[in-house]
Amino acid sequence: MKSFSEKQAGILNSADLKSAKGKAFYWIMFGILVLVCITTIVPTLWMILSAFKTSKEMYTSISFFPKNFTISGAATHLAEAWNKLKFGRSMINTMIVAAGNALVSIVICGMAGFVLSKKKVEGTKLVFVLTIWTMMLPSIIRTVPQYMSYISFPFVIDDKWNYPLNINILDTYLPLWLGAAANSFNIILFMNNFDTVSPAIMEAAMIDGCSTFKIFYKIMLPIVLPVVVYVCIGAFNSAWSDYFTPYLTISNTDLLTTPAKLFMKKSDTNITANVYITGLMFSCIPPAIFFCIFQKYIIGGIAVGGVKG
Amino acid sequence: MKNKLTNRKARKIKNLLAVWILLLPAVICMYLMVWRPSAMGIVWSFFDMKGFTPTDFCGLKNYIRVIKNTEFLPIVWNTVQYVFWSFVIGFLPPLFIAFMLNEIIHFRSIMRVLIYLPAILPGTTVLLLWYMIYSPDSSGMLNTLLAQLGLDPYGWLNDPNFVIIYIIIEMTWAGFPGTMFLYFTTIQGISPDLYEAAAIDGAGPIKLFIHVSLPQISGLLLLNIVRQMIGVFQTMQEPMVMTGGGPNNASTTVGYQIYQYTFVQGRVGQALALGTLTFVVLMIATCFYFKLNKKVEDNF
Repeated sequence: MKSFSEKQAGILNSADLKSAKGKAFYWIMFGILVLVCITTIVPTLWMILSAFKTSKEMYTSISFFPKNFTISGAATHLAEAWNKLKFGRSMINTMIVAAGNALVSIVICGMAGFVLSKKKVEGTKLVFVLTIWTMMLPSIIRTVPQYMSYISFPFVIDDKWNYPLNINILDTYLPLWLGAAANSFNIILFMNNFDTVSPAIMEAAMIDGCSTFKIFYKIMLPIVLPVVVYVCIGAFNSAWSDYFTPYLTISNTDLLTTPAKLFMKKSDTNITANVYITGLMFSCIPPAIFFCIFQKYIIGGIAVGGVKG
Repeated sequence: MKNKLTNRKARKIKNLLAVWILLLPAVICMYLMVWRPSAMGIVWSFFDMKGFTPTDFCGLKNYIRVIKNTEFLPIVWNTVQYVFWSFVIGFLPPLFIAFMLNEIIHFRSIMRVLIYLPAILPGTTVLLLWYMIYSPDSSGMLNTLLAQLGLDPYGWLNDPNFVIIYIIIEMTWAGFPGTMFLYFTTIQGISPDLYEAAAIDGAGPIKLFIHVSLPQISGLLLLNIVRQMIGVFQTMQEPMVMTGGGPNNASTTVGYQIYQYTFVQGRVGQALALGTLTFVVLMIATCFYFKLNKKVEDNF
């Protein structure tokens, strides 16, 4: 048990905590936090426990815990749910989307952030202002026109002009990747962090004859590695969290990502509640593993992520 | 001499080219995904739409149809209620939790991870999980809890009077860890010396909170008020996943109505008109946000 004397001065300091009143105040706060933890754990735990219930138990049992839990029974149930929801395919798809998201975020947003921070030439100031506005522009107006442009990309068909170059990019991952590349938040994030890199490093490389692009990926990107990881995590999570864009743009069930598949199976009467909730549990596993690996970057990354316009 | 000049000019152009090659992909993507759709949305809201193709200019016809729709006012009112309840339920808890977490010394790192838990789960899964938790039959978690207390199952999301509050509870659960950690890092940046000095002057915990902590974080809080307002006003996925706008449109938001106009009812022109109306309202809030942001940066 840690002792109160180790406590840094805050709203309560160690002198306060010697009195009964201070102690009570401290433990009340502690109790509230425990309650907060319980509210975050209980739904998650309910999901995991319900995943192992039988369909009948879901509706009749008032206990949180599955009856007759056996390892072999659970394994068959998991395998059955996995096959019934055809999860293997959608997991791979989500991985592909996530990898693409991460790649375009780092390359495209990284390059733009690099230029806006270190290579100010004519016109970059305007791009910077537009990027800031992009970050705050209400997205509500975009959904429909975006969808219209996916049907005939990159130009939009009008009655008068029929561009021969137009292609339909529905049923591909291009809309998702383009969305990840147009993330102005990431551009500003990269820019802010490149700002902290000393220009002397870049000048030295330039004197040695390094090209601009080489400076970017050989010198600048490794320096801001925590940001690269943070952006990767964001890109990965967005692929795992967003059902809406894939649901709109992808109709081929073989190409669906996990969240879109889960959303579409919601109203499928062939899938019982316990199988469905097992699917929900499966969809949490990759992000959970990711969190465990990169925990340091994620919780520390919020400091990295503080964006100043 | 002349040779040198042209040489320098050539180098400058080469440099300019290299810079713009790096910048261009991002500019093109932002143009295609943000700037053009926004402009298209406004322009085409004045056009008759045939499917997804604009045909003839029709003035304000789309707007008049949107506003004359009997659902228009109730839906706007719903959206305002979302914003209102998101402040009542969701605004202060992240702040207080961040402060309490900063004061605690026992089990602090475990608590940090546990409180972050909702943010680890993917967004869609959280929505669908809460849809199951609120399930009106006996399989839902809340109805299981009621059954343990010996009570009858309750309709939760089928209750038109409280459905918005239930959705806001879900949104708060899913969203508070991110905001909480934003506050937490700011609070951790406050120097302990400030607290010590004030405590020596005889300030108690509540006075310390009001006079030492709050001024340090009030800028961020102000910005978050506007940001939350803009964010919640655009709510669409929550009603879409959890209620389908029901019961009886009691939880339909402006965002979800735009989705329905477009992809369910096939009235694209009206969707664009409603989108433009919302856009204009939110742009005012956004301009205000930038003004505030500047002020906050100057003062804090």
